[in-house]
Amino acid sequence: MSTRTLAGVAPPVLTFVLGVALAELVIRALDVSPLILPRPSAVANAAIREAGPLGAALGQTARAVLAGLLLSSTLGVAAAVALAASPFMKRAFYPYAIFFQIVPIVAIAPLLVIWFGYGPRAVVAAAAVVSIFPVIANTLAGLLSVDPALADLFRLHGASRLATLWKLRLPWALPYLLTGLRIAAGLAVIGAIVGEFVGGGGLGVVVLGAMRQQRTDLVFAAIGYASLLGLALFGAVGLASRLALRHWHASETKR
Amino acid sequence: MTWRLVVLLALGLAACGRDAAELKLALNWKPEPEFGGIFEAERLGSFAQRGLTVARTGGPGAPVVQMVTAKQVSFGIASADEVVLARDRGSDVVAIFATYQTCPQGLMTHAARGLGSLAALLASPGTLAVEPGLPYVKFLEKRYGFASQKVVPYSYSIGPFLTDPTLTQQVFVTAEPIAARRAQADPKVFLVAESGYNPYTAVVIAHGDTLRDDGARTAQLVAALREGWRSYLADPGPANALMGPLNPEMDAEAFRLAAEAQQPLVEAPGVALGSMSPERWAELARQLKELGLVGEVQPAERYFTNLE
Repeated sequence: MSTRTLAGVAPPVLTFVLGVALAELVIRALDVSPLILPRPSAVANAAIREAGPLGAALGQTARAVLAGLLLSSTLGVAAAVALAASPFMKRAFYPYAIFFQIVPIVAIAPLLVIWFGYGPRAVVAAAAVVSIFPVIANTLAGLLSVDPALADLFRLHGASRLATLWKLRLPWALPYLLTGLRIAAGLAVIGAIVGEFVGGGGLGVVVLGAMRQQRTDLVFAAIGYASLLGLALFGAVGLASRLALRHWHASETKR
Repeated sequence: MTWRLVVLLALGLAACGRDAAELKLALNWKPEPEFGGIFEAERLGSFAQRGLTVARTGGPGAPVVQMVTAKQVSFGIASADEVVLARDRGSDVVAIFATYQTCPQGLMTHAARGLGSLAALLASPGTLAVEPGLPYVKFLEKRYGFASQKVVPYSYSIGPFLTDPTLTQQVFVTAEPIAARRAQADPKVFLVAESGYNPYTAVVIAHGDTLRDDGARTAQLVAALREGWRSYLADPGPANALMGPLNPEMDAEAFRLAAEAQQPLVEAPGVALGSMSPERWAELARQLKELGLVGEVQPAERYFTNLE
């Protein structure tokens, strides 16, 4: 391991180890009931002992999250392009996009089950619904912040609207879209788990069952697996940004 | 500056004094006939006559067992299997009064399917909507198998039941079947107890320390509850009228029907209201151990106590 990677990895690992050790000590010292707060060691134990079912559940949740993100990023970019088409479009429809930001997913998840049936489709829909707004908002901001000088240049050369969109506006919006996706990735994990509470499958059902059986260690172990999924997605989007932007965009070139 | 501190301290102590006299009782659902005896005891003044001030708290989704474990409340409502699970996880909660002698949980399907038993029901292909991980669901799965069922989570709505002719769902016999009938469905209900799994339900629980340190008042509470339940069973009307405004989702007719439906589950021949037996606790603990939900079976008298 090079010293540079070590310098990158050491701080978060150190805070993790210290935080966990402190929690373990405090919970032991105060003799907190495991029903109220499980010891980190018990959580780690459950995470290892139940790795089979947790891993299978994680796989199901991960598939739903990826499908949901694919859906929300496709539809979100399409919506942003439509909203950016004219000031009228933006005025008429943008306020309603905010619906997706404030929608209480817990309240509409049962409806998603009625619309899409029990199973993965309702879960994917829940993940997509909660993760679409940051994609729309960020992409729209990118599309609308194109350098006016460059837009003039395209106009002077008689570029068509489609060519301007494809060659100027979308590339300009790409860093914004990627920032939106980072936010969307975490939200999609929450959306999928809440969707699973009512639609079935995955970590959501593991969490519900563990709560019913007063297995707080397993609840936290499942949350740990969900966090790994969130971290992996965050990392994947980060990597995608680096690959996509490294040759031309200031945010990734100055390293 | 100092006198302010003194005044604040005095006020704080006074508030603490009041809190100590007041007993908190956490419910695990909205006011409904399941808690009829509690409201009736309040109405009759059964608590006050014994020098008790009881404040109701909690509600749907309240983590009652945890609240009692942490001594945030003195008493709470839970089911017998929750008590066995909690004690296995190191919590010192003890059952002191069992509202339902027969567990009111059941599976509901459409009468038109012509199924005559739990075994026949679970062998017949269909969708089964249950809360994942519930102990009785695990028991039914082990006993009958769910191979012919598509198991989906239940989220407290009878909507899917009303639209799917092969759907089976978990119910509280005092709630969903009544709502389904009033929505023009023709449900058929099988009690889980029929399978041999019959935990006491709507059990009043206390922390072991409360029983040791405040035993006299706890016994008074049980006596008041028994008085309330005796009166409620004789005439649920007045307490229902008190609960109605607190639970607008149920109208007066729903309250009346639920009270009627629960009567045979609360009363059992030859058993005093609320009283429990060591044999049934031992049986329940053994069943939960066989399901792998608890590690060790404790002596039955640790799970409950009958305060006569």
